[in-house]
Amino acid sequence: MISILEQQTLFLNISRQLKREIIAFAIGGTAMMFYNLKDSTKDIDLVFVSNEDRKEFIAAAKKAGWTNFNAEVIYGERKNIPIMLKLIEERLDLFLHEVIDFTFSKEMQKRAAIIRQFEKNLIIKVADYHDIILMKCATDRIKDIDDARAIIANKEINWQIILKEAKNQLSLGNEKALMELGRFLEKLQVLVKNVSDKILDELWELFLKQIEEKRKRLKNKR
Amino acid sequence: MKLRDKKKARELLQKLTGIHTISSIMNLLKVNRDKAIYYVHRLRKQGYVKTRKNAEGKRVYYISLENKLKGRSYIDVINENSPINLYSSVDFKIYGKSPSLEDTLIYSLKSKDFRIILASLALFKRITKWKELYALAKKNSLKRQICALYELSRKFMKVRKMHKLFLRNSLPNKDDKFVYIIKGLKSIHFKDIEKKWKIYIPFSISDLEAYKK
Repeated sequence: MISILEQQTLFLNISRQLKREIIAFAIGGTAMMFYNLKDSTKDIDLVFVSNEDRKEFIAAAKKAGWTNFNAEVIYGERKNIPIMLKLIEERLDLFLHEVIDFTFSKEMQKRAAIIRQFEKNLIIKVADYHDIILMKCATDRIKDIDDARAIIANKEINWQIILKEAKNQLSLGNEKALMELGRFLEKLQVLVKNVSDKILDELWELFLKQIEEKRKRLKNKR
Repeated sequence: MKLRDKKKARELLQKLTGIHTISSIMNLLKVNRDKAIYYVHRLRKQGYVKTRKNAEGKRVYYISLENKLKGRSYIDVINENSPINLYSSVDFKIYGKSPSLEDTLIYSLKSKDFRIILASLALFKRITKWKELYALAKKNSLKRQICALYELSRKFMKVRKMHKLFLRNSLPNKDDKFVYIIKGLKSIHFKDIEKKWKIYIPFSISDLEAYKK
């Protein structure tokens, strides 16, 4: 497990190898540590919006001793899986714009209001906690549901933000986003009471609408 | 509660994360004053507490896991150097290096925030690395803005002398248009500076009272 102090050291080491300023968005456990919701994380999840930035980050990380790690071991054959690097026990999951079935949208980027700069060149923007839930739903690894539960238990959730972002994901062409979110929230509802029925009903309605529209589109094609 | 127990300390930190006074801790944890002070003391020892004083001189505790990392923000640098105290809603911290005065001045201009820019005028009293500031200003297209604010601050406080080349190389061209530092705000008092640098100054004389004391 990586503590917040160890994470700082890792970022500083990579930052020292960077040749120019780059920006990455922290999601997952890394972001949760900045919200005081966790004191350690298994892996560091970062999203880049520019491929050049990700390449530069990977080059710097490799200079700092990180090596390649097969992402399929963790994520299987899902789409938009990250490039993964490993140090000893520590793991870096480096996504590019897409996180499995979700896009790290412009709205998500705007909501990332906590900014941390490591030395001169590494700027980490911390995803808003609503978006962390959405990303947890996207990655859906063993511990992700527990993390989402911790966020819901400790933060005041505005479900409308999540619903609006789900619609946004649909408009960005992520057809599985609604279904995945609905499934994830249903799982969560069993564990915590704070997930309202209303949000699930609204998601369900959206999902039905999505199916209907797709059916119409297919009919027209024929 | 024995705070040497790691799990209990973690729970306490979770409960107290945020901004507190001793009385708010007493209310939250339903403990007496001595116990509340003891809890703050233990958390401080572990590096989770930062203390500031409010306008009435009361201690305010900023409690967070992240305090352990000892990051510094541009606002911290401004507060250390300016008579105007800031509390920023923007959560921006830097680790591994202390932000320089030059970086901080550029940050304040880029923030386009009235109070941050006003408070950062005090940095001109300490800035000595004019070459570094010039490079940063050029990179961010803020040369004229910095020169205009420098001349403004000279009217109200003793500042270090700016390098001649900085001033000479920053003068506006004939074709340059007037630029706002903060959109829509211009001064009724500092027309001479505005005309010289083709920059609208967002402050009036009364805004700069804090520097006269």
